[in-house]
Amino acid sequence: MASTTVESGAAGHGAEPRGKRAEDGQATYLIAVAEALWEEMERDERVIMLGEDIGVYGGAFKVTEGFLERFGPDRVMDTPIAEETIVGFAVGAAMEGWRPVAEFQYSDFMTSGFDEITTVLSRYHYRSGVKTPVVLRAPSGGGVRASNFHSVNPEPWFAYAGGMKIMCPAFPSDAKGLLKSAVRDDNPSLFLEHKALYRRIKEHVSEDAEALIPISSAAVKRAGDDVTIVTYGAMVHKALEAADTLAGRGVSVEVVDLRTVYPMDEETVIRSIEKTSRALVLYESFHFLGIGAEVASVIAEKAFEHLDAPVMRLAPPNHPVPFSPPLEDAFLPQVADIEAAVDRLSAW
Amino acid sequence: MRSDAPANDLPLPDEQLRDMLYLLKLARYVDERLEALYRQGRLPGAIYSGRGQEGTHVGTVFALEPRDSLFPTHRDLTAQLAKGLDLNRVLAQFWGRIDGYLRGRDGNSHIGDWDGNRTYAVMSHLPIAYPVAVGAAWAYQRAGDGRVAMAICGDGATSNGRWHEAINWSAVQRLPVIWVVNNNQFAYSTPNEKEFAVPTIAERAVAYGIPGVRVDGADVLAVFEAARDAVERARGGGGPTLIESVSLRWRGHAGHDPAKYVPRELLEHYMLSKDPVKNFEDRLREADIVDDAAITDMQARVEQAFEEAHAYALASPFPEPGDVDKGVWVEDGYWTAEPGRGGGTEAG
Amino acid sequence: MTSIQMPQLGETIVEGTILKWLKNEGDEVKADEPLFEISTDKVDTEVPSPVAGTVTKLLVAEGTTVPVGTAVMEIDDGSGASGNGSSAPEPAAAVPAAETPAAAPAQPPAMGASAAPPSPAPQVQPSGQPAPAPSVTMPDRGPRSNILSPIVRKLAHDRGIDLTTIAGTGEGGRITKADVLAATAAPAASSGTVTPLPSAGPAAAAVMVAPPSMPAGQGEDAQPMSHVRKAIAGHMLASAQQTARAWTMVEVNVDRLVRLRAEIKEKFQANFGVKLTYLPMVTRATIDALQQFPLVNSRLDGENIVTPRFVNMGIAVSYDAGLIVPVVKGADGMNTVGIARAIADLAARARSHQLQPDEVQGATFTITNPGPYGSLVSVPIINQPNAGILSLDAIQKRPVVVEDDAIAVRSMVYISMSWDHRLIDGELATRFLARVKHNLETWDFAEDLGL
Repeated sequence: MASTTVESGAAGHGAEPRGKRAEDGQATYLIAVAEALWEEMERDERVIMLGEDIGVYGGAFKVTEGFLERFGPDRVMDTPIAEETIVGFAVGAAMEGWRPVAEFQYSDFMTSGFDEITTVLSRYHYRSGVKTPVVLRAPSGGGVRASNFHSVNPEPWFAYAGGMKIMCPAFPSDAKGLLKSAVRDDNPSLFLEHKALYRRIKEHVSEDAEALIPISSAAVKRAGDDVTIVTYGAMVHKALEAADTLAGRGVSVEVVDLRTVYPMDEETVIRSIEKTSRALVLYESFHFLGIGAEVASVIAEKAFEHLDAPVMRLAPPNHPVPFSPPLEDAFLPQVADIEAAVDRLSAW
Repeated sequence: MRSDAPANDLPLPDEQLRDMLYLLKLARYVDERLEALYRQGRLPGAIYSGRGQEGTHVGTVFALEPRDSLFPTHRDLTAQLAKGLDLNRVLAQFWGRIDGYLRGRDGNSHIGDWDGNRTYAVMSHLPIAYPVAVGAAWAYQRAGDGRVAMAICGDGATSNGRWHEAINWSAVQRLPVIWVVNNNQFAYSTPNEKEFAVPTIAERAVAYGIPGVRVDGADVLAVFEAARDAVERARGGGGPTLIESVSLRWRGHAGHDPAKYVPRELLEHYMLSKDPVKNFEDRLREADIVDDAAITDMQARVEQAFEEAHAYALASPFPEPGDVDKGVWVEDGYWTAEPGRGGGTEAG
Repeated sequence: MTSIQMPQLGETIVEGTILKWLKNEGDEVKADEPLFEISTDKVDTEVPSPVAGTVTKLLVAEGTTVPVGTAVMEIDDGSGASGNGSSAPEPAAAVPAAETPAAAPAQPPAMGASAAPPSPAPQVQPSGQPAPAPSVTMPDRGPRSNILSPIVRKLAHDRGIDLTTIAGTGEGGRITKADVLAATAAPAASSGTVTPLPSAGPAAAAVMVAPPSMPAGQGEDAQPMSHVRKAIAGHMLASAQQTARAWTMVEVNVDRLVRLRAEIKEKFQANFGVKLTYLPMVTRATIDALQQFPLVNSRLDGENIVTPRFVNMGIAVSYDAGLIVPVVKGADGMNTVGIARAIADLAARARSHQLQPDEVQGATFTITNPGPYGSLVSVPIINQPNAGILSLDAIQKRPVVVEDDAIAVRSMVYISMSWDHRLIDGELATRFLARVKHNLETWDFAEDLGL
């Protein structure tokens, strides 16, 4: 299939996401995601999108607003509410050479396509050698009063399935660079966009269409000497906020953002532990068997001799995300909880 | 046996009819031999006999071209052979050998040969391939090159939500796909009357807005003609067709199942008067397309083919155990390089 | 089949040496019958059999040191099943390990049998392992002071740091990575966060300053240091490096004691079953002086001076393996007879390797007694964490100036003390020794001896 390259000066389609940046040129997390999709669809005609209400309506969160007009209904498909078939469709199209990007309105609904994700998508290449370069995109996470069925962090379910790369970026630049990498990767991937960050976080984002962030590379978002917080997604921002406060108290915190939760960049995590010798693993998926449980285990196994204190974890309990604001706030790790945990850890 | 004969009044030329009979006899013999070896403890894993249903498998697949794709189930070894799979490699897969189609990553009839014979690797969660066939069919529609997809499932799988999702979606988009239901009257031990409340599965097609036909699975040519019409409709942009082909599962669900829940009279009736292999042989004899000598020769070729394939399978080495973790990710190159060939072989 | 494992006699013990097999392959054993003798950092002892049966296999050679938990012997007890940990002797069951981090681990400390000054056997702190060895016993500075994190062990090992010299700033007194780094950055003497501890450290320094290897040549024999010898070496060096040792001597006229002993020694032995020596009398006199000058009975704990209101008197005893310091617990409550009996009992059991771990720890002061071997003056090494060690040397008739400037022959002895100048000053040391001298010269021991 032919691919086209867009001149950098091609910006300017009325609906192009880049045109929606703020006047200072900064892009929100949501705009960064949209830019990634737009640029990849411009770059490679094999990239197609499908999902519920992504075309005419522009997506539940308006990520794909304007895409139908630009790329047409053959490449921007509104689908029936049929999550198993959204995934299966993507696999079938991928096996025939397309590079589908399927959107779930909320990551909660990925369970409605669970079998096709975990039985077909995650296993097909290992079993048969046939490539299935599918990207499943979904807004994940809580903290926005979206309640039980619109707040889930599904990454542990799918990390356990194996065979799929799972990204949970925290910053617009990372979101854009990682999503572009995911679209270009020959393996299936899950791209989980934290909905609390969509419009809350913005920064300068590269306009270079080839600015990619490698999958499975973590990043040190703040350097420190005393304690490492290993985290990802929205919790990165809470960790950074806590680190500011703690710095005022003389505790130097390093914040490692995993960015990709599977396969994990263990090296960056271990390198940080070698420096600080104390690890707080902070995550929004459930405490028991959540992503952080695996992070803690990696640290214990591979950085044991560098530890000066037990690895600690901070994560929500294994029960549904409640709606009422005080309940949800109590459920999710808050900045004060992080500070308290770091205090406990540094006193140990 | 005719020679230089004028066109017969059957829907296929003589040579293809003889090929059809050869395939039916081969499938029957392979099925019987595999069951014998399984019961002798000489075949590892599992077997899922398709005996009695060969008419459905051969009749439908004979309507396909090599470029069309087939999405079968574990009971459709006959269909896989009809699609062109090499019996040597099929048996190597049954014995877990490196020369099997999936390099030992999967066993028995969970075979796939996508790049060769456009045959999708079977999975157990039925009808898990139906959604994937939607995506492939979309790709053919998009390419506009006349290819079609054909997916098979049993009567049992029609109770699953994905069956509805996939047929509905394909109907909405008028995709070039043929939905084949091999109604062998039992979902494991559950008979049709406990599976659905309508008299036939075919009549459900009305609700999706597509044609539905019900054919006698014991009549290979009736099945073929139904499939041929459906394929022609799909290639011409007429959308999907539902074909219900009725037969009886002569054996248990799997090799371990004596199938005592199948009424004895029903089984005897089907074995005596609805044997698709015998009926088709009789028909070709009547049409003077084969004679005793041809049948004898054909049977000898069938047995020789099996013995050769069996020997090929047993001579093939096992996969290299050190390769067990390879091939999860595309980039490790396992599936594009010659695989490691492991230790010796064992008697079978 | 039951597999017998090297028992863990004390929670910090990680290995033990098979000294001697008491049963050989093919021997019948009864339950609780001694199987073999072992030597650990703590003590030498016999290990009794957990089962009755027949010894089928000895898995290690005598003299071999193996980690705790290693299978060393197999006994066919008719159970058929192959051995596992459940049939091993209960760790520490044979010897109740009364160890607490506060107590210095019992150590067979050392006195060379050579002509070198018979130094007393400091009952020292940690084993003689390099710092990071898991068997390091840390001074008790809080509930977590004995927890060494992986990075702390690694840094200490890599940089040759003696962890016992570092005061932990972590929760519960734990030594943190930052504490170790601070200790590396600034020598203890100049660092506010690092406080030298009175207790002896391990012999890490010995390893560091070891001279280049000089293997045995022609006409020389080489044999590995015994377990006990290595321990003694570590403890001695640690004490020498970690105390501010000073030394003071007095001369004592023991004419009356000599005459008294000559008079009553047979009756004493008949009455009490032990020989009467001068050591119990000197011990009794010393205890009185310790009560008068409690600082001499004290020890340093970090920046605190800990002064027991009791006296646990360590008595250095030489035996075949070297030297050990059994402790007469509560010696301040005993009369001379009690002390004599206690010393006789401990010495006998030390020489037959029968001491229990808690009998070789907890001394508040120590007496060494090289006199019987003929030494006139000794300068002993302090048995940490004691503040001092008193040496009783040989009694000798000497011409001395007596009253009215006359010269007379008297039984005289030099009694001296090595003392830690961090705790004690010269005046105190001298007044203490003067009190001992006064007691020995003036007390009527006859009454105290119950005769």
